[in-house]
Amino acid sequence: MRYITSRLLFYFVAFLIAISFNFLLPRMMPGDPVDALFAGAAGRLDPSQIDAVRAMYGFSEGTLFEQYLQYVKSVFTLDLGPSILMYPTEVTTVLGFTFPWTLFLVGVGVLSAIGLGLVFGTIVAYRRGTWFASLFPPVVAFVSSMPAVVTALLVFYFFGLKLEWFPLSYSADPSMDPAWNWPYIKSVAYHAVLPLTVIIMAGLAQWVMTMRNAMVNVLGEDIITMAEAKGLSSSRIMLRYASRNAVLPVVTSVAMGLGFAVAGQIFIEIVFNYPGLGNTLLKAINARDYPLVQAILLIIVVFVLIGNFIADLTYLWLDPRLRKG
Amino acid sequence: MTPIANPVLAPSPWQSFRFRCANGLKRTSGFFLTNPPALIGGGIMIIVVLACLLAPMLTDYDPNRRVARPHVAPNAEHVFGTTRQGRDVFAQVLYGGRTSLTVAFVAGTVATVLSIMIGITAGYFGGRIDQWLNFVMNVVLVFPQLPLLIVLAAFLGQVGPPVIALLIGITSWPWGARVIRSQTMAIRQKEFVLAAECMGESKLRILLIEILPNLTAIAAGSFVGVMMYALINAAGLEFLGLGDPTAVTWGTMLYWAQSAAALYTGGWWEMIVPAVTIAVVGGAMALVNIAIDQVSNPKLKAGAHLRRWRKLNKAIQAKRQKR
Repeated sequence: MRYITSRLLFYFVAFLIAISFNFLLPRMMPGDPVDALFAGAAGRLDPSQIDAVRAMYGFSEGTLFEQYLQYVKSVFTLDLGPSILMYPTEVTTVLGFTFPWTLFLVGVGVLSAIGLGLVFGTIVAYRRGTWFASLFPPVVAFVSSMPAVVTALLVFYFFGLKLEWFPLSYSADPSMDPAWNWPYIKSVAYHAVLPLTVIIMAGLAQWVMTMRNAMVNVLGEDIITMAEAKGLSSSRIMLRYASRNAVLPVVTSVAMGLGFAVAGQIFIEIVFNYPGLGNTLLKAINARDYPLVQAILLIIVVFVLIGNFIADLTYLWLDPRLRKG
Repeated sequence: MTPIANPVLAPSPWQSFRFRCANGLKRTSGFFLTNPPALIGGGIMIIVVLACLLAPMLTDYDPNRRVARPHVAPNAEHVFGTTRQGRDVFAQVLYGGRTSLTVAFVAGTVATVLSIMIGITAGYFGGRIDQWLNFVMNVVLVFPQLPLLIVLAAFLGQVGPPVIALLIGITSWPWGARVIRSQTMAIRQKEFVLAAECMGESKLRILLIEILPNLTAIAAGSFVGVMMYALINAAGLEFLGLGDPTAVTWGTMLYWAQSAAALYTGGWWEMIVPAVTIAVVGGAMALVNIAIDQVSNPKLKAGAHLRRWRKLNKAIQAKRQKR
């Protein structure tokens, strides 16, 4: 319990720091912060509306601290004001449309990358010295070191544009109405194949490497020798004795992996014109819709923090020692 | 009168420095020659860096000037074809590589210096300093870095390569710092550090002369890692149009290719050439990093020995069967 509370406290502080960053950013820019924030709004919002939005962002009279409190309040009440790009739609409504798609891609992509990484990492560590174990890590590292932009562009070009195996854009057939029926789900799955491939390609190496390094360390421990001496089968040692202990460091590195996945996600969505957060982020930047840009940053941070918390809970479940403290 | 070297006395700082350099050079070259990933990765890096440095000798074209008709397919005159603006892609790759690789190098250096300073301080002094530094490290680690960079760059507006290098360098120290911190904590328990403390050496000397040399492999690993990461992220930022579009870099090449819809209009070389270049250089850095990993964790290298043992074992078994 103490472990969970301390983690929650940490994430709360991290979230506050992210809010403060968002609050300070327009104020650190040269010139009037309101001008910086609403540079793209000229002509789209009339002055009285700008004043209303300004108040919401805490650009009111008062000390910096009072402005800050007002901003924090508007974040926690999810009162983020209208988007400039898609005026008069609320920023939160725009996020509501786009975030589920990103959540779907990142969730499925990261989970399958972790799964595959654990399997391959275990095999590579356990069968050290075979040609597969010496060839696989460098190859997968090479593939994953390619920037997500590049992987996405190459996959897009060969499998989408040249071979025409998969669609080039959108998350589903645009002529269909979103519904929970079989044809629509099939269309979504069909459109998700290429983006998911890129996410898995980009993330796989990290999990394989972490798992392999952890496994190699565990394999040197006495418990393995003991298990071998008992005459247990090789697969039983590999799965029940070695992997279970080796999974712990993998769970800790989820933080980094999620950050990378989200970052790669932005490019993947742009290349495949997928209607998620990343695509919206680029549109917002080009339209200088800074309120939307900041809101997207916040939701990404929240998403990564929650992902980390889930990883912490998994850690707790895997490592009984933590439960006592 | 020249002082007579006394073998009993400790070598002068200069002597030990020279010895360390020579020893380090020998070990570094040995590391590259005996390690296939390092050899391939290092080889690619050297070739690319040389090609970029010798750009004026390899191509006559100015990367910023229209030299042919738009989207000329690769031919003898324009090895990688031309862009939508009629610029030579090969010249752009070479000159752009200078900027892109410099950005990666500067970011790597800034991040490594920061991570060594912060990691060593946290690991050696411990206590409250460590708690605070560790907290800052964890907070920075938990934030998704690229979205943060994108928002920063969006507010700053069309950041040039030097600003990109600094932004990435300043935000990517925590990974290195965390590893260096834990390694420092392990080293500071060793006898030679205790001995130096008992002799009353200054803290600075202990940190720089006694502890730092033991962190070389880890620092090198984090340096290459950040370089790879900076290359990728700088290209990503520029691809989004957040960089300075007038600077020629691998990232802005991607940006121009994307805005010219090069893939759709059949000018694939404008997009694929810089993309593959970034992929190959990033991959080369990853290979070097794998090799450095094996140095800092020798257990990973056991594979080669196991393979030799299996071969021998097979030969022995075969001989026995014959009898």
